[in-house]
Amino acid sequence: MRGDRAFLMILPASLMIGVIAIFPIVHAFRISLDRRMPVFGISYFVGVDNYRFLLQDSRFWQSFLNTAYFSLLSVSLELITGLILAILLHRSFRGRGLFRALVLIPWAVPTVVSARMWEWILNSEFGVLNYLLQQIGLLSAPLNWLGDRTLAMFALILADVWKTSPFAAIILLAGLQMIPEELYEAARVDGAGEWQIFRRITAPLLLPFMVIALLFRTLDAFRIFDLAYVLTGGGPASTTESLSLYAYTLLFQTLQFGYGSTVAVATFLAVLLLSAVYIVVFRRQRHG
Amino acid sequence: MPRSGVRSSLRPLFGGACWCLPSRRSSLNWGSPKRWWWRRSRSRSAASSWRWRSPLAWAVGTWPESCSNAAFTVRRKRRSGTRSLICSGPGCGVRMTVCRLLGLSLLVTSLVVAVGCAREETVTHEKGTVELVFAHFKVPSPEALTGLIEAFEQQNPGVEVIEEVLPTSTDQQHQFYVTALEGRSATFDVFALDVIWIQEFARAGWLMDLTRRLGTDGLTGFLPGPVEASTYKDRIYALPWFVNAGILYFRKDLLSKYGFAPPRTFKELSRQAKIILDSEQDPDLKGFVWQGKQYEGLICVALEFIHGNGGRVLDGRDSALRDARAVEAVRFMRDLVAVDKVSPAFVTSADEEATRHLFGAGRAIFMRNWPYALTLYDREGSTMRGRVGIATLPSFEGYHSAPTLGGWLLGVNRFSAHPDLAWKLAEFLTSQEAQKVLAMRLGFPPARDALYHDAELNRTNPFILPLYEAMRRARPRPVTPFYLMISQLLQPEFSAAIMGVKSPEQALDDASRLIEHVLKLEVE
Repeated sequence: MRGDRAFLMILPASLMIGVIAIFPIVHAFRISLDRRMPVFGISYFVGVDNYRFLLQDSRFWQSFLNTAYFSLLSVSLELITGLILAILLHRSFRGRGLFRALVLIPWAVPTVVSARMWEWILNSEFGVLNYLLQQIGLLSAPLNWLGDRTLAMFALILADVWKTSPFAAIILLAGLQMIPEELYEAARVDGAGEWQIFRRITAPLLLPFMVIALLFRTLDAFRIFDLAYVLTGGGPASTTESLSLYAYTLLFQTLQFGYGSTVAVATFLAVLLLSAVYIVVFRRQRHG
Repeated sequence: MPRSGVRSSLRPLFGGACWCLPSRRSSLNWGSPKRWWWRRSRSRSAASSWRWRSPLAWAVGTWPESCSNAAFTVRRKRRSGTRSLICSGPGCGVRMTVCRLLGLSLLVTSLVVAVGCAREETVTHEKGTVELVFAHFKVPSPEALTGLIEAFEQQNPGVEVIEEVLPTSTDQQHQFYVTALEGRSATFDVFALDVIWIQEFARAGWLMDLTRRLGTDGLTGFLPGPVEASTYKDRIYALPWFVNAGILYFRKDLLSKYGFAPPRTFKELSRQAKIILDSEQDPDLKGFVWQGKQYEGLICVALEFIHGNGGRVLDGRDSALRDARAVEAVRFMRDLVAVDKVSPAFVTSADEEATRHLFGAGRAIFMRNWPYALTLYDREGSTMRGRVGIATLPSFEGYHSAPTLGGWLLGVNRFSAHPDLAWKLAEFLTSQEAQKVLAMRLGFPPARDALYHDAELNRTNPFILPLYEAMRRARPRPVTPFYLMISQLLQPEFSAAIMGVKSPEQALDDASRLIEHVLKLEVE
């Protein structure tokens, strides 16, 4: 009867997961097969029509590419800066505790607040960034960070890297601290150089943590909404519109629940696929 | 996660019109078993009573996801001073109380907690009192409005008006109303409506038809713009409360230095700006700033150029944007930035506040903005005090100025339990006297024509009369139930056109195809 009781024990948790996680996903998928705009009294089943439309919806593909580009660039930069920060924070120096706390501040600031802050920093007329770059002579005229089609995406990435590098740093710092000091001592006794030590000891032992940071950050970056919503509103000319932002626009601003759900489901599938790839790669890493 | 779909399918399970924001009548029937938590909640705020709600309904109603990002509306009872929070997040509308918030956090770890938490009941009938709820956005200094409401209560003994203050963001207010009215909620009776929502709400059947109550006079005495916006299929669904329209701000000192009069046409504006910029040789000085970020504000500005050149957006169910006049207007906007450099590249990412700050720092000759900036520039200590001039927006040669209409109207909830009293309140708040008070105390430009020539008002608020021409000429954005969809389609296209990503022809042609696609959706 132990098996039965075990089932009973996990029942509440499974029920909760069913209610708060699985049901909405299934339901969103169900709605994505409808043309549904309750405000206009429109609600009927259209089958895969929405998906067919999705495939030729240029705004969807643009936001998809925007999101992929943003995720790729911001996550790689975050891991690099995170690693540098983690290595710095791992060394012992005076005031390390204070420094560690300071580094964490961007991560603690709510995204909407930091987005608003960056909006003013990057403002082409009053922004402090343009001012500083002009002062040190890197720029002759102010750059239009948020209103230029190529710069706007960089501005978004910059703000995201600033905000989430500490998160990567914390995970990597935890990894660094797990590496036993004896390994380093033994390597030094054997006459290994700093670069060799990093390559042969630090990097491989840190890899699992890198993968975790990568996984968390990619999934997060792929869902980017609030930063883009506040900082650029998806503009200029939709060059910074992310998938979530597009889905939000469809669902809650134009109230197209059917097609909006289709875009949301597509985003969900993309994220699912991404995590599947990561898990497979990660497994192979561990076993191979 | 499309919440409203979830809600509609769950509705039969829980009965009642809407389980999320129950109507007054249905929620009164829910019964109230006296449990310990019920007593405790009750003793905490004596003025509101608490009702029991089925645990499942409660658990689903407290969907954490939908409320995580939400802004809350605050419902305030002036007499008792009690407050409650209402979630207005995407697709939500859940009434939050301390008890539920606590429950919500526990819910994550355990299902057990969910069993029977309390829910606040919205109506308490003291003997013979009728409560009317007036939902509106946050006004700058609420005393003026509160004073009006108290006057209404004195005129109508036995009525208590409760103010429900919604978040400032127009999008969030729209979501709140849509969610509530989709569920035929009667938790508010009179509510403030943005000019662009009327058609959509009227078509959905959420607004009381006011035509009969207004009688033969209809909306005489109101400005033409808001009247057009409040009419759907020859019926009137809302009363104009106050108006707003784009106006031209200019540097009085600079214009008079060069002997220029405020420009009547856009070409003249551009010419004046170029001359001043060339002579001043100040790298910090910009010519003409306006809102060009990809958002609703860009639509307002672009329409001022298009309408000011005799163009329009819709022609029945077809788009009128392929018309040469519309194309010319958009090309002119692009050239202001790209060719003439009269407008700095900054405008392509600027919203109202960004332009207001730039002009406020004395760094622009001309600015297009709403009248709200006026009082801010006139404040003690503002560097621009006395240097700001205002004028009606220019147009193109041979056409009239066509500022975009903004502003708010009052509508009566079709599901209101007290339609007569609600109508009375809406009528009172949009009366000549009330609009005068709002104009004097808050600077809201009145929607009634006659007030612009009111001697007392002009004495206390000298900004009102100069706005008259702009308010009278103000033109609504496309008057259609599908406006919000059309706006969303136009925003990236206009943005692409002024950025030079697409040619104006291409952008407007793309926009036209999308608009026609949307308008074909209408099933009569």
